[in-house]
Amino acid sequence: GLILLFYLVFYGFLAALFTFTMWVMLQTLSSDIPKYRDRISSPGLMISPKPDTALEFYFNKSDAQSYAEYVSTLRKFLESYDDSKQSQNINCTPGRIFDQNDVTVKKACRFNLSELGQCSGKEDKTFGYSKGTPCVLVKMNRIIGLKPEGEPRIQCTSKEEGMVEINYFPPEGLIDLMYFPYYGKSLHVHYLQPLVAVQLAVNSNSTKDEIAIECKILGSPNLKNEDDRDKFLGRIAFKVQMTE
Amino acid sequence: QDDHKLSTSDLEEKYGTSITKGLSSARAAEILARDGLNSLTPPKATPEIVKFLKQMVGGFSILLWIGAVFSWISSGIQIAQGAESPFDNLYLGVVLALVVILTGIFAYYQEAKSTNIMASFSKMIPQQALVIRDAEKKELPADQLVVGDIVEIKGGDRIPADIRLIFTQGCKVDNSSLTGESEPQSRSCDFTHENPLETRNIAFYSTTCVEGTATGIVINTGDRTIIGRIASLASGVGNEKTPIAIEIEHFVYLVAGVAISIGVLFFIISVSLRYMILDSIIFLIGIIVANVPEGLLATVTVSLSLTAKRMAKKNCLVKNLEAVETLGSTSIICSDKTGTLTQNRMTVAHLWFDNQIYSADTSEDQTTQPFDQSSPSWTALSKIVTLCNRAEFRPGQENLPIMKRVVVGDASETALLKFAEVILGDVMNIRARNKKVAEIPFNSTNKFQLSIHETDDPNDKRFLLVMKGAPERILERCSTIMINGKEEPLDSEKAEAFQTAYMELGGMGERVLGFCHLYLPEDEFPDTYPFDTDSMNFPTSNLCFVGLLSMIDPPRSTVPDAVSKCRSAGIKVIMVTGDHPITAKAIAKSVGIISATSETVEDIAKRLNVPVEQVNRREATAAVVNGMELKDMSLEQLDEILCNHSEIVFARTSPQQKLVIVEGCQRQGAVVAVTGDGVNDSPALKKADIGIAMGIAGSDAAKNAADMVLLDDNFASIVTGVEEGRLIFDNLKKTIAYTLTKNIAELCPFLIYIIASIPMPIGTITILFIDLGTDIIPSVALAYEKAESDIMNRRPRNKKTDRLVNEQLAVYSYLQIGIMQSVGAFVTYFTVYAEQGFLPSTLLGVRVNWESNAINDFEDSYGQEWTKYQRRYLQWTGYTAFFVSITIQQVADLIIRKTRRNSIFQQGLFRNKVIWVGIFSQIGIALILTYGLGHVTALNFTPLRFQYWFVAVPFAILIWVYDEVRKLLIRRYPGSWWDKNMYY
Repeated sequence: GLILLFYLVFYGFLAALFTFTMWVMLQTLSSDIPKYRDRISSPGLMISPKPDTALEFYFNKSDAQSYAEYVSTLRKFLESYDDSKQSQNINCTPGRIFDQNDVTVKKACRFNLSELGQCSGKEDKTFGYSKGTPCVLVKMNRIIGLKPEGEPRIQCTSKEEGMVEINYFPPEGLIDLMYFPYYGKSLHVHYLQPLVAVQLAVNSNSTKDEIAIECKILGSPNLKNEDDRDKFLGRIAFKVQMTE
Repeated sequence: QDDHKLSTSDLEEKYGTSITKGLSSARAAEILARDGLNSLTPPKATPEIVKFLKQMVGGFSILLWIGAVFSWISSGIQIAQGAESPFDNLYLGVVLALVVILTGIFAYYQEAKSTNIMASFSKMIPQQALVIRDAEKKELPADQLVVGDIVEIKGGDRIPADIRLIFTQGCKVDNSSLTGESEPQSRSCDFTHENPLETRNIAFYSTTCVEGTATGIVINTGDRTIIGRIASLASGVGNEKTPIAIEIEHFVYLVAGVAISIGVLFFIISVSLRYMILDSIIFLIGIIVANVPEGLLATVTVSLSLTAKRMAKKNCLVKNLEAVETLGSTSIICSDKTGTLTQNRMTVAHLWFDNQIYSADTSEDQTTQPFDQSSPSWTALSKIVTLCNRAEFRPGQENLPIMKRVVVGDASETALLKFAEVILGDVMNIRARNKKVAEIPFNSTNKFQLSIHETDDPNDKRFLLVMKGAPERILERCSTIMINGKEEPLDSEKAEAFQTAYMELGGMGERVLGFCHLYLPEDEFPDTYPFDTDSMNFPTSNLCFVGLLSMIDPPRSTVPDAVSKCRSAGIKVIMVTGDHPITAKAIAKSVGIISATSETVEDIAKRLNVPVEQVNRREATAAVVNGMELKDMSLEQLDEILCNHSEIVFARTSPQQKLVIVEGCQRQGAVVAVTGDGVNDSPALKKADIGIAMGIAGSDAAKNAADMVLLDDNFASIVTGVEEGRLIFDNLKKTIAYTLTKNIAELCPFLIYIIASIPMPIGTITILFIDLGTDIIPSVALAYEKAESDIMNRRPRNKKTDRLVNEQLAVYSYLQIGIMQSVGAFVTYFTVYAEQGFLPSTLLGVRVNWESNAINDFEDSYGQEWTKYQRRYLQWTGYTAFFVSITIQQVADLIIRKTRRNSIFQQGLFRNKVIWVGIFSQIGIALILTYGLGHVTALNFTPLRFQYWFVAVPFAILIWVYDEVRKLLIRRYPGSWWDKNMYY
């Protein structure tokens, strides 16, 4: 009996101590930006839709069922980019870093879906999958305070030449500097990260082949894209196989 | 075997041989084919590879092998599934296997150092023997000898087999390797004793012929010889597990039990939480690795060998490492007398002259004698002692202390010579000035020694006749007695006084000699008088009795103190000697084995004046048991004696009876230490829990059978050994408590990882770096800790109840300090993650997504997105932080483990310098790992922000304060609930 009581008190004390030290520790943190950001100095790239099986797209362009999930994922992903959701967002000056350090309420820049052209899902509800020109959205990971230098753009290449023709929306895969920097979830409430749509026009004689595509971020000296260990730092590789 | 009783011709007939011609070669070959080679069969040795493999699967090795195999299986599955990093588990398996193999090699190496008992027996075999075969003398390899061979032996030879002597010439053999008797013994052809071991006409295999020549018939060869039988007896005596081995086994079972049950429990939990089987297996590996103190067994070995080294400095050479601790748990020491308790040399202890007994100084380093030397009787006595003595110092030793000089002469004469030299100075010069003109040496029929000298007084032309010998024989030849320098007639009153003194000295177990002299009248014996010792043309009666001197082999001066230490340490000291009971008892009394107030049954009988049978045996605390009585005793009777008497002396015992005594003590549940030197002590030495061989007097076989060799043959060294042994037991407790603590801090991360699905707080490799890296030197350092209190004031530990790892130790380490460490480490872990953007609330339940290779935009609490590799690197930072926190808190753990009861301040924070070496090494290794090797990916360390080193510091201080409070309460309230539950 006594021994149980002892441990009850002992562990109660330890739990209280743990809670207290954690509380003290959390008090030292800002709710706006993390104390350190050195572990993510450069952003990773990611695509949408993201297939369950390790970034490989398999679909039949004549079978709507085979790409239904990609389409719905894209639709869902783009919901937050819908004009109705961007009513509070402002139009920023393109090509310039949108510094808001002095402002308490950080504004978000508008990203018009029309910039995504054929991949905006407005004209082609299947994002090109039914026509054999599937769209993949490439996005750059959000990092608080990141200010890309130069003219960052996404460029994708296929190892197998001539199998696929790649189109970018906005043109040349440019990522506008006005969307930077990001101020964090709590300060920058309606922030939308810029997207680059990549439309792959698979050659008709290359169907059934597996096409490996690698997208990289280029044109910005402070965005790394060739890290040995991190395969997603400033780049992303995926595969597409389309049948008819 | 009655070969020693048979006549020569009977022997010839029995063995089909001829004394003059020997065997024929053909017959010899036949017998050789029948009996085999004349050599000792070595015991079936365990093949080295088997010994090695045993080390590979002993202790925790099995658990680690299981871990390694699971690692390989899971990495195999991962490779088959084409996972991203399948080699992590492969490496882990290799590392685990390496850990097992390296610790196995270490243990094997330690064991290999303990030598094999048979090795020295086989070394004793003589190479060549001179044999008569086909009527010719032949030189043969000794292993070719067969029963019936006629062999010739000369001085310096080793006896090639057991031989019945048929012709001897001044033959003496050194039987010390067999019986422990150091005096060479003469051999003859005569049957002198029923017992083949005692009779003079048999020479034994492996003993040495010191001088003379002999011829004999081989009666036993190889394993059938006496020494062969002893060898097989010794190797037949099972090697019992040492107490510390039992303790360590108990501890291994305990830890393995905890590891397996937690492992299996969480395997079931993780499977029922719908983890994949593969993941569950990986968790299981982690739990096993976290739970097993990989470095501990090696640490224990190192600690033991450190103590062994320290003991070697104190003249206890330990052959078997585990014996270090056995000595500490010893509860009975069966000690030899001669040489161990005593100085092994005769020394004058008492004198009687002028009707008074004087005591002499018997210490090892005497330079003067304090008794009253003014009486003219002493002058006369000293003259006899000086002159009637044939012993001489070997030349060239003038610079040595008198007691250390080598003397040519027998034991009593040596004693007298040294005694005289100490008091009178240059004895040789005195002898030269009193020229010897005639001498009759001592012989057993006369029982006296006599010499006649000129005097050194130029005016005194008389001759001086001096005589010494057995007191009663000397007194018979005297008609006067010297009192205060004057000759007085020896009346019955004075004879009575002599008798009383003689009885008193004899009763002290001392060897008494009488001394008398006579100045020969000048007119009857002019300086040209031809003294003839054969016809004895001089008076040998009506002499003047001068005094008595008694001698004893005195106890070593350090022994009484050592015996009383044993007494306060609850160790029973039993004297086992071949000596006469009276001598044995006297020595036992003088060293305190029999204390001043206790009585034997015989003493009580004498005091009460009743027959021995009427005395209540329970009243007697002491007992002196004669070897002859012991022979007729049943085991129950022996047990009764060992049980009822606290002070026991076994006198007149044969070395074989030692084994019986040891077994008797062991039946009482005691841990028995036994000293011995002869070959035939080796079964007892092996049987004992700890056999102690004498380094100087001991035979090789005894040294081989023993666990420990006493380099200075001194009993007091055993006691210092006991002290060291007890200390190491206490310190091993500390080491184990220290090591077990952090296992909880290594285990908790896994459990919480499984249950709360947080990112992994610490890696398996990292755990190995703690167990085999930072923690090793500190845990060895605890072996240098000084005793907390006088460990020689408590009873020997009870084998059954005083465990090395008891419940309190495990519970306190695991459930209290270990949990505190875990809390401290988790605070650091959460701090690292929170400051990088993952608040604790975000971390719960993220495991699957966190570890998914496909998710490269994992969102943190601030909206930032992380790639898999960025998360992984953060995870390693978490590992490093957790590792550093454990290390920091282990420093506190190390400091609190210095004592179990006393405050650290009582013990002194700086007295044990090695602890500080440990602390610095711990922190140094952690610094190297984090900053030096922080970029080696395979090790999973990252350079850590400096402030994270201090997050756990408050917890480290808390651990220390908590333990001080624990100790304070234990000291304040002994016997309380707290004391019972918190003292380990």
